[in-house]
Amino acid sequence: MTIFIRIAWRNVVRNPARSLITIGAVAFGLAALIFLKSFVTGADHQMVANYTDLFIGHIQIHKLGFQKNMGLDKSINNPYSLARSLLDVPSVKAWSPRVKDFALVSSAENSAGVLLMGIDPINERHLSTLHERVRAGRWLEEGDDDKIVIGRQLAENLSVGLDDKIVVMSQGADGSLSASAFTVAGLLDAGGEEVDKSLAVITLSAAQDLLVLNRKISEIAIKATSLEEVDRTVKALRDKIDGQQFEVLSWKEISPMTYQWLQFDQVFTGLILVIVLLIVSTGILNTILMSVLERKREFGIMTALGTKPDQIVFLVAMESFILGSVGALAGGLAGYGLSRFFGARGIDLSAISDALNSFYIGSVIHPKADLASVGLYVGVILVVSVAVSMVPAHRAARLKPVDALAG
Amino acid sequence: MGLAVEVTNVSRTYRPKGSTIEAKALDGISLNIQEGDFVAIAGPSGSGKTTLLNLIGGLDYPTSGDIMVDGVYVNKLSQVQLAEFRLRKIGFVFQAYNLIPTLTALENTEYVAFLQGATRQHREHDAISILKDLGLDGYTGRKPAQLSGGQQQRVAVARAVLARPKIILADEPTANLDSRTGEGLMDLMFRMNKNLGMTFIFSTHDRMVMGKATTLIKLHDGRIEA
Repeated sequence: MTIFIRIAWRNVVRNPARSLITIGAVAFGLAALIFLKSFVTGADHQMVANYTDLFIGHIQIHKLGFQKNMGLDKSINNPYSLARSLLDVPSVKAWSPRVKDFALVSSAENSAGVLLMGIDPINERHLSTLHERVRAGRWLEEGDDDKIVIGRQLAENLSVGLDDKIVVMSQGADGSLSASAFTVAGLLDAGGEEVDKSLAVITLSAAQDLLVLNRKISEIAIKATSLEEVDRTVKALRDKIDGQQFEVLSWKEISPMTYQWLQFDQVFTGLILVIVLLIVSTGILNTILMSVLERKREFGIMTALGTKPDQIVFLVAMESFILGSVGALAGGLAGYGLSRFFGARGIDLSAISDALNSFYIGSVIHPKADLASVGLYVGVILVVSVAVSMVPAHRAARLKPVDALAG
Repeated sequence: MGLAVEVTNVSRTYRPKGSTIEAKALDGISLNIQEGDFVAIAGPSGSGKTTLLNLIGGLDYPTSGDIMVDGVYVNKLSQVQLAEFRLRKIGFVFQAYNLIPTLTALENTEYVAFLQGATRQHREHDAISILKDLGLDGYTGRKPAQLSGGQQQRVAVARAVLARPKIILADEPTANLDSRTGEGLMDLMFRMNKNLGMTFIFSTHDRMVMGKATTLIKLHDGRIEA
């Protein structure tokens, strides 16, 4: 087959302008695809990281059924014996016990329904970034049992500011109506309504007192060593924890909408891949078809001399493969290089940062180059480049020598 | 000496594109060619010379009749079998040289031997040797576009001969050459016919070429002239 590889290569370089245009189209399409994929992956990764870091954590452990129907009747009785199981899982980086319930907060002027969260001020710092989102006042410290931190928009709705008093009302675990007054210590500005409009945070002990929970908690929130470790950590925890009593949920199950958004992004990238492949395959098909039509006589000579149809198919496919592989190599390197460069440097989109903050993305996006995806796309381009050549290749192989030689 | 070619009552008709009328290129011809013969098929343009060579060489099928070449009915072979038949038994020298434009003179010469599966060392040695015999030893690395018409035709002869076929078919091999180069090429083919024992069948309407042939077959309007 070496002579056919030689002929294929020489045919590619015989018409340098046409070959370069085809190679350029393949390279540009692939580089753009890889960069787009890296950009979307980077943005998605930042969104998930920021979202989970803000307060939901990577993993949550509840009493069975809590996620579906939150209530104090599904509280965890002996949280610290459950927490001991976490110590054996090396990919658990941090954890924090929480109390969660719906409550009504009232000021002198207004009232609003909120998600009331009782947190351990020390452990929570290792788990969530809520303390970094305090835009006015301060975060809770240990012993701040009469203090409350609320969302900025919630404060506006209640017409309260720092050091103002608000009353939190809820039904206790024993069925009694309970209420306590708290002083506003800090205002949160997370950029999303979920926090800014609907979250009120008090200390764990204050929440346990208010809701008559004694030492019970609602959930243990967990941070894994990385997002990539979450699924493995969930599996390890499920192996250790009684599934009849508790549920171990990853962020994908806690926030299915976020997960679906990521899946939508994958579909979107897949769609772009299909469009790029269509453009690339049309370019290659056009070049190879033109080349075959121009060389009818040459194929006629080869066939007349005894070249077999499969050898002609191999020759044409090899020309297409050379165009595709050079383009894929150039595009792969350019796309990966650009992604790595901007991954380190970041792309500043502060002009639209308000919109990005709503999605927890942040104003500087760091594309995340993924070698596996680059390899996959390069492979797909190579397969497509050979596949599209089959039409002109078989056309060339089917030429009758007497017709081809006659021109 | 046995029969190299046996043509029995062969006709070939064509229907030009867009026409409803069939044109007869060959009209029931029969002929025999002995092994080792040096045969000229002569006749004016349109007499059916090229059609007859194409049929003997397995490049085309007859409309009716049988063609036996070296004991094989070529009109009964499939396209793939014909490719193998041409590779093993026939060497072609075309009027327009028909070298592969991206290959050098040496690579063109050894192309058929490559298809036959000859080792690189063997085919290169033979190709260099034959190109030297044909006075092309200084041109082995040149591509067809860098060679004159006479040089290209000599490379085509080298390609045809190197594969050691039973029969060499040459379609007006001197038509595009000046008379001196054409005569030189005919002498060369005649020498090869004598030295290698291959059967040469060539079409021509050149009297000088006809004069070199040991057997002359005259065609007119698709029939053999008596």
